[in-house]
Amino acid sequence: MIPAKIEDVFIQITTNFFGVIQNIIAGTFVKKEFKLQASIYKACPFLEGTLEALEPHTPFLLEGMLIISNSKEYNVDIELFKNDDNITVLIHNRTNVYKFVAQLNQHRNDIFFIKRELAEKNTELEKLRKIADKANEEKSRFLAMMSHEIRNPLNVILGYSEMISDEQINENVKEYTKHLSISGGNLKVIVNDILDLSRIEAGKLELVNSPINLKKIAENCIQNYQFQNKNTAIKLVFEISEKIPKTVLGDDVRIHQILSNLVSNALKFTTTGIISLKLKCSSEDEKLMNISFEIQDSGRGMTESQAFRIFDEYQQNKKTDHSVFGGAGLGLSIVKRLLKAMNGNISVKSELDKGTIFKIEIPFLKVISSEKIKIKKEENFPKKILKGTNILVADDDALNQTIVAHILKKEDVAVTLVKDGLEALHVLKTRVFDLVLLDIHMPNITGEQLVQQKDKFAKENKEIPFLALTANTTPEDLDRYKEIGFVAVISKPYTAAEFIEKIGLNL
Amino acid sequence: MIAKKVLLVGNFGVGKTSLIRRFVLNQFAEDYISTIGVRVSAKVVQYENTAIKLLIWDVAGTSGDEKIPKAYFLGASAAMFVFDVSRIETYLNIDHHLESIKTLSGLQNITIVGNKKDLLTQEELQLVVERVSVNIDLITSAKEDENVENAFLELASQAIK
Repeated sequence: MIPAKIEDVFIQITTNFFGVIQNIIAGTFVKKEFKLQASIYKACPFLEGTLEALEPHTPFLLEGMLIISNSKEYNVDIELFKNDDNITVLIHNRTNVYKFVAQLNQHRNDIFFIKRELAEKNTELEKLRKIADKANEEKSRFLAMMSHEIRNPLNVILGYSEMISDEQINENVKEYTKHLSISGGNLKVIVNDILDLSRIEAGKLELVNSPINLKKIAENCIQNYQFQNKNTAIKLVFEISEKIPKTVLGDDVRIHQILSNLVSNALKFTTTGIISLKLKCSSEDEKLMNISFEIQDSGRGMTESQAFRIFDEYQQNKKTDHSVFGGAGLGLSIVKRLLKAMNGNISVKSELDKGTIFKIEIPFLKVISSEKIKIKKEENFPKKILKGTNILVADDDALNQTIVAHILKKEDVAVTLVKDGLEALHVLKTRVFDLVLLDIHMPNITGEQLVQQKDKFAKENKEIPFLALTANTTPEDLDRYKEIGFVAVISKPYTAAEFIEKIGLNL
Repeated sequence: MIAKKVLLVGNFGVGKTSLIRRFVLNQFAEDYISTIGVRVSAKVVQYENTAIKLLIWDVAGTSGDEKIPKAYFLGASAAMFVFDVSRIETYLNIDHHLESIKTLSGLQNITIVGNKKDLLTQEELQLVVERVSVNIDLITSAKEDENVENAFLELASQAIK
């Protein structure tokens, strides 16, 4: 006797060769669907066409077929055997097994389609990224070009302001030229900020990791602002922990930029009291030292919501501070991005009418002794006196020529001015100079082309220093100029002091 | 009336069940529910003044080199290989798949149908036709009911040959 539970999961039937049920041998699975002398095809449509084709005396298995009874679907496996006078049909209910197969199958297929969709989306994203990269490159190119176009006239504005202020002028004119110089300086900061932000956004920011003296950088920064600050009601204070090593590995230019930005901000928003810059060591291990820089002021402070948005671009504009304090409101955004690139961080605490504290923390790699020597050498690089030297200046811009001539003549330099590269080439073949200043964009022969034609110069001129005098200031430009033979670059706009210093260092 | 067993085979998700649902019930559902084993539907078609009862076996879709059980082909008069015109992997090795089906079924001709034409533009479809290494009998859209009836009539014609 077969137990009832087993009877429920199968049914064994015999049919003739045309599917007419002759006998129900055993089992009760969906028994009501099978009636004697009725066609088995009604309940098992998959047997129509199959039974007729069965090989006699050969067992045959059909897996995963479907039977519907009482509107319920059952997955079944069917065993068939064709005898000489009938066919045995054994139906096994496998619904429970196929339920899991169905789930697994559905999941497998769903995963396939999701993966496919992801792949398609990734391809689409890649295309969009390329478009965005291209647009970003175009933007960077545009900004670099605009920067060049702005820097040239700005150089003239600042140069002539400096020239005018050196003349015998009355107090009013002195005041006017001072404002002219301040505005020009602000414009220079804005141009630099926009270019910096564009470079950081384009992922083109490359940090240098060379031995630097943090104390010196911070001190210089404070001294610069002490010199510039005419408000005697503000005291600038600098403190450094003894734990800070003399040298660490880092990017001096960018550290200076970060500190300058924060100190300059503090000065903008403080009318009286103290502005302090404190350097401390927060933690260290064998290789790294986390150094914190705290810039505290006793200025007007901010509300919580203002402090929350302070690192977003153009925040200053939104608060209509631009007209009062100058700048495009990009400084803090750049600081935050620079710190991110250095694996550092910045936080701000502020109280309205009490003051603000910016705290930055940067992990610096410690230096080995051989690297310390390198920094000392750079610091001791000698400057030479310009008096009595022979300098050739090639620039197609008459206004810029005048500024250069004015600065150099004040230093008692014998200046030869030419208006393009071709003229410069001509004089370099026939006359001997101590140093050459070349503008880059000149008619006939550009500065870049000329510096690469040293074989055509008089023998004595082949070894003299060539300096590029240019408004092209992207790192790529600067690298290229050095590669093709310029020893240094004087970036426009420049002050007379910067100009003289650069020449003195390269004579 | 003669009854003919025909099979629809091809990769999973190419729309075999949708083609059958459109042909037999004139219905279409966007949901994708994978078929397990075999689901058999029947429909009577008129072909050259002959009524043919098509017993349509909707065979669970395969993946890669997965083989269809040989038992399914017993007594089959025709088979349709369905691929998805928008999915290259469903027709990339079509030669290989057709050979395998012919070996398993003993059938000489397999009806080849490219489904989901609604997902491609005319130009894209033309590219697919050029890429597929065999002659496509019909390009269909179960969703938009394009060429579905013709595809099954073609299958019926193969079944009575």
